Amino acid sequence: MTSPSASSRKALSKIASNRLQKELMEWQVNPPAGFKHKVTDNLQRWVIEVNGAPGTLYVGETYQLQVDFPEHYPMEAPQVIFVPPAPHHPHIYSNGHICLDILYDSWSPAMTVSSICISILSMLSSSTAKQRPADNDRYVKNCKNGRSPKETRWWFHDDKV
Amino acid sequence: MSPTTAAKQAELLRQDGNLYFKKDRFAAAIDAYTEAIVLCPNVPVYWTNRALCHRKRNEWTRVEEDCRRAIELDHRSVKAHYMLGLALLQKREFAEGVKELEKALDLGRGANPKGYMVEEIWQELARAKYLLWDNESTRRSWELQNLKEACEAALKEKYFLDAPQTEGYVDENTESNLDQLEALERVFSKAAEDDNPTEVPDFLCCKITLDIFRDPVITPSGVTYERAVILDHLDKVGKFDPITREPLYPTQLVSNLALKEAVKTYLDAHGWAYKMD
Repeated sequence: MTSPSASSRKALSKIASNRLQKELMEWQVNPPAGFKHKVTDNLQRWVIEVNGAPGTLYVGETYQLQVDFPEHYPMEAPQVIFVPPAPHHPHIYSNGHICLDILYDSWSPAMTVSSICISILSMLSSSTAKQRPADNDRYVKNCKNGRSPKETRWWFHDDKV
Repeated sequence: MSPTTAAKQAELLRQDGNLYFKKDRFAAAIDAYTEAIVLCPNVPVYWTNRALCHRKRNEWTRVEEDCRRAIELDHRSVKAHYMLGLALLQKREFAEGVKELEKALDLGRGANPKGYMVEEIWQELARAKYLLWDNESTRRSWELQNLKEACEAALKEKYFLDAPQTEGYVDENTESNLDQLEALERVFSKAAEDDNPTEVPDFLCCKITLDIFRDPVITPSGVTYERAVILDHLDKVGKFDPITREPLYPTQLVSNLALKEAVKTYLDAHGWAYKMD
């Protein structure tokens, strides 16, 4: 799971690294509630701690997100996965892959790491049952050899969970 | 040779020059462009192409000569103003150099995609502008510091002079003196505010680059983006407005002139904002 996809192994373009520096500065001043960026000197891979929101199934639990940025970010979405053990959730596979449209087909360059984090937390918070997606085992088996979730052809679960 | 034959011949020489240039054979390229110029001295592109070769060889006086000639022929040539600006900066004629780069930036906005070089011009302009600001702000800060110290000393002196005559009112006197010193502090920190690097306001920054606008364009949804970047998005990601997700096509983008002016005004007052990471 830790092997980045082919596209994110290339060094960041100038636009990408400029933009990430700005995002990081903004994050330091104004981090999204419930998240903590683990400081490293690697601008291309962020590791972010997520705390389950109060009043939800995940309260008191802590998970880690790994965000890898492609060369042409933000014209391309970053790869976002949970570092296993991933939270039990109908849209999150046990290998950490997340079924969330904005990370794939519905990506827009106006979104930021911060807005992705907020979407993921809201996805967790609206969950009513701690369970894996129905096709978890089949999917995870298909992803052996470290395939990136960005290479998956997703059909998106509905939003109601 | 008839004029049309000369023009054709010159055009072929330009193509030769371009080929040499691509192979980094600048001396050969210069020869080809020079021949083209001899045949047709009134074609600005021959002059700017030759200037570009001189630039590669760091022959800045020649860059300047060729660019000036190109501008005489076409005063709207982005490349000529741009390279003339660089040549003047090399000669340490900062004010004139910056003026040429600003002219190039202005003419370059909205240019056709093939010749679009706004970012390149902006980088050079920003570097020069930041240096100018750095010098100026250091001078201003010294001036303010000296003035402030003189004012503080004067206020304190006044306090001691007043003290003996107002026996019994010492507390009141002390208080008003402290108030004045505090007010002085406020006035001087206010005066230094513009030179204090902070954050560029969000409304002057593109929602995609998160950086201050160079060439802002507005969409039918009313959102403004950096031109080169929104065009890249429409080309690579999809034909929609990144924020509202409304359908969007390149032809719908319109220069946001008001915002362009706002950026210019802001940068004139806050030169530190030219700093690049």
